[in-house]
Amino acid sequence: MTAVNTKKAIIAVNRFGLGAAGAELSDAMGDPEQWLLQQLVSPAFDPALGNTESAFNIIAEIQSLKAKRREGDANANLRGKAKGPTVGQEIIMPYRQRFLKDSLTFSVNTKTPFAVRLLDFFSNHFSVSSLTHSLTILSPTLERDAIAPNLFGKFEDMLIAVEQHPAMLIYLNNEKSVGPNSLIGRRSRGLNENLAREILELHTLGVGVGYTLEDIRQLAMAISGWTLNREDKKRKLGFEFRRKAHEPGVREVLGRSYADTGLDQGQAILRDLARDKKTAEFISYKLAQHLIADKPPQALVAAMTKTWMKTQGDIKAVVTTLVKHKQSWDAEAKKYKTPREFIVSAMRAINDNKAVDQNLLKVSLRALTQMGHKPFGSGSPAGHGQLNRDWTGSDALMKRIDWVNFISKRTRYSPAFIASRIFDSQLPPLTVKLLAGAESRAQGLALLFLCPEFQYR
Amino acid sequence: MADKNRKKLDRRSLLKATAGTFIAWHSPGVLSDSASASAKKLVGRPKLVWVILRGGMDSLQAIFPQSDPHLISHRKPLVAPLKDSAFDLGAGFALHPALQEFSSLYEQKQFLPVIATESGAKTRSHFYAQDMLESGLADVDIESGWLNRAVEAYQGESLAIAHTLPIGLRGKQRAKTWYPDVLRPAKEDLYERLQILYKDDQLLSERLAEGLKNRNLLGDMEKVKRRNSFASLAGSCATILADRDGPDCAMLEMSGWDTHQNQVGHLDRQFKELDSGIAKLRENLAEQWDQTVVIMTTEFGRTVAVNGTGGTDHGTASAMFIAGGAVAGGRVQGKWPGLAKSDLFEGRDLMPTSDTRQWIRAILSQHWKLSSAQLDYVFPSVKTMDAQLIRLGSKSGKIA
Repeated sequence: MTAVNTKKAIIAVNRFGLGAAGAELSDAMGDPEQWLLQQLVSPAFDPALGNTESAFNIIAEIQSLKAKRREGDANANLRGKAKGPTVGQEIIMPYRQRFLKDSLTFSVNTKTPFAVRLLDFFSNHFSVSSLTHSLTILSPTLERDAIAPNLFGKFEDMLIAVEQHPAMLIYLNNEKSVGPNSLIGRRSRGLNENLAREILELHTLGVGVGYTLEDIRQLAMAISGWTLNREDKKRKLGFEFRRKAHEPGVREVLGRSYADTGLDQGQAILRDLARDKKTAEFISYKLAQHLIADKPPQALVAAMTKTWMKTQGDIKAVVTTLVKHKQSWDAEAKKYKTPREFIVSAMRAINDNKAVDQNLLKVSLRALTQMGHKPFGSGSPAGHGQLNRDWTGSDALMKRIDWVNFISKRTRYSPAFIASRIFDSQLPPLTVKLLAGAESRAQGLALLFLCPEFQYR
Repeated sequence: MADKNRKKLDRRSLLKATAGTFIAWHSPGVLSDSASASAKKLVGRPKLVWVILRGGMDSLQAIFPQSDPHLISHRKPLVAPLKDSAFDLGAGFALHPALQEFSSLYEQKQFLPVIATESGAKTRSHFYAQDMLESGLADVDIESGWLNRAVEAYQGESLAIAHTLPIGLRGKQRAKTWYPDVLRPAKEDLYERLQILYKDDQLLSERLAEGLKNRNLLGDMEKVKRRNSFASLAGSCATILADRDGPDCAMLEMSGWDTHQNQVGHLDRQFKELDSGIAKLRENLAEQWDQTVVIMTTEFGRTVAVNGTGGTDHGTASAMFIAGGAVAGGRVQGKWPGLAKSDLFEGRDLMPTSDTRQWIRAILSQHWKLSSAQLDYVFPSVKTMDAQLIRLGSKSGKIA
């Protein structure tokens, strides 16, 4: 194998992938670009964990249990008995733990790490947080049911699926948004612009580029009536277009008119937004920034934007342009791993295809929370930051060291062996020397996971 | 049979534990279905604790030959600070002043240091020498540890205070592992190495310095010691061992012995931590202490001479510590090879005069009453040291 291919393969598995697991590095050596491109298929999740529809059954279960509890607790209070476990302890916590654990093990075990990285990117792009019971149950299903199936298709399809997903509709309050002149609106309630604003500002065009407050209002009216059927089992649970809440009339967004075609009025606007040059530039830039550098090369972003415009936002084509671009392969690793990337890559490094240790999972999830990178918990519709400065605080580093101190004692592999699976023989002499001079396997592994070469990708 | 055993052990694995709080070794009544239950429940079964000191302990700093005329010429800066406060063991040796618990054990004849021992490794590589020390076989087998073979022969049960099973307890007898479920700050040695690792990375080295400053780790090593605490692990280990149906033996690890630079202060802290560890073992083993032997060994010793950075490099012979209520201590064991240039191994290291495995064979024979065939299974082609190491009249012996 040529040294050039080795170096390129190291970049492929570490910068584009999620860090080498097992013999992945040697798989990538034949043709690193091809190794990445063949991964561009939607990742499949474990269906046993549930989906958007089953989430509603759980929410219904929670409601009825809550009602029963109120009754039961009142009785218990009367008789002076202890209260039973709360709904949170009984249903929500175990459910949440299953998804949290799965969100880590899925990344640790995946055989298509590049696809999963891209899933993580869009999942963060369309960030929802577990603020309420309903959102806790629904938010993990957004990436499974709205993002993953559209990951390598047209961006407009992903956009529509996401904006119609119950987690997004609840999180950004569109569920209750009612057109002022709709049947319902004439009696009560009104418009909520939250989702419409974030669609323009965060999901498509980017903040403050060429849209007005009126555009936001127009979009909000177009998607009024995009709501949920939460409990009527005669109809499909989940997203529902409610004409009685939809603002009638023609809408005008960014200078274009959209006739009142009901549900399709909003969808047509979203499609045009997805194909807009500003959206192409914004998401190409953000994706290149996520993968390559905080200030990505202009030529790379331009090439990706061009592909976006040519293919009307075909994500697979845009990603292919990025992979094939020379400037994506700069020898210098410029991105400091986020806590999640860091933890996933270290867990992949020692992964031996057995089930991931439950205790390690528990501790790692806790560490992620402490490092401010909790799954489904960014707390902001803008998602977690993706710039180096978002994650390079000194306390964050100390917490990394604490966690590494824990994980490095949990494998039998030698540091040299793990290092060769990630970096072949390309580590700089100082790092090699320190690994070899470590006083124990555990310390050697700790130094490997904390060395600059592992922390940057 | 094997499956049945496994089931039983799994039930036993219901170790409920949180750091620093009460530890139950098993759910009650697990052993009551066993025929030997009543015999096993007798308080007074001989316990064995093995502490592996990872990194290569500088024995000449721990137990130094104060009357050897060559000592000062080799390592004056290392010995000078200890001279006046060291604990005199007699026979020309003195104990590092930080080892206070050890010196009081010595006075009570419960501590038996053995000088100039080797582990059988003909190498100065940590990894290989530790593998060798743990496996105890001339032909290293990392799936078979000596303590596992010993407890198998003894038909007892074992526990490793570790996240994953260390080599020393791997093998046919299923050993349990236990470790407190909390993230602990790393040893200060790791931070020192990270400072070197980050010297060309401005951002990381600044952040590390800042983080250390914030945690006040560099300025206040006493805090580090308390939080890291080998002593607290040793205390948990002893609590588990002391339970009526606790295991027969346990393996503990303490790292941080690879002292290439500025070792005077560093070893002072290491010894204090080790000393608190043995104190905790004694305290929490309570009345079981009288039937306990603690063995402490390291993979190799260090160079006799001080190096250019106030430390010592990888060497050959070190020392082993034997302590416990069952030990016939209060004397220094082993033959002193001398520190004249011509006495040194390859002109630089302390010359080994015995092998730790010979001493452990004697302990297993006297403490657990293993037969010579069983001893050959634990440590093949090693001779048993001809010395009485276990106090006569201690309740050592086979499970009835």
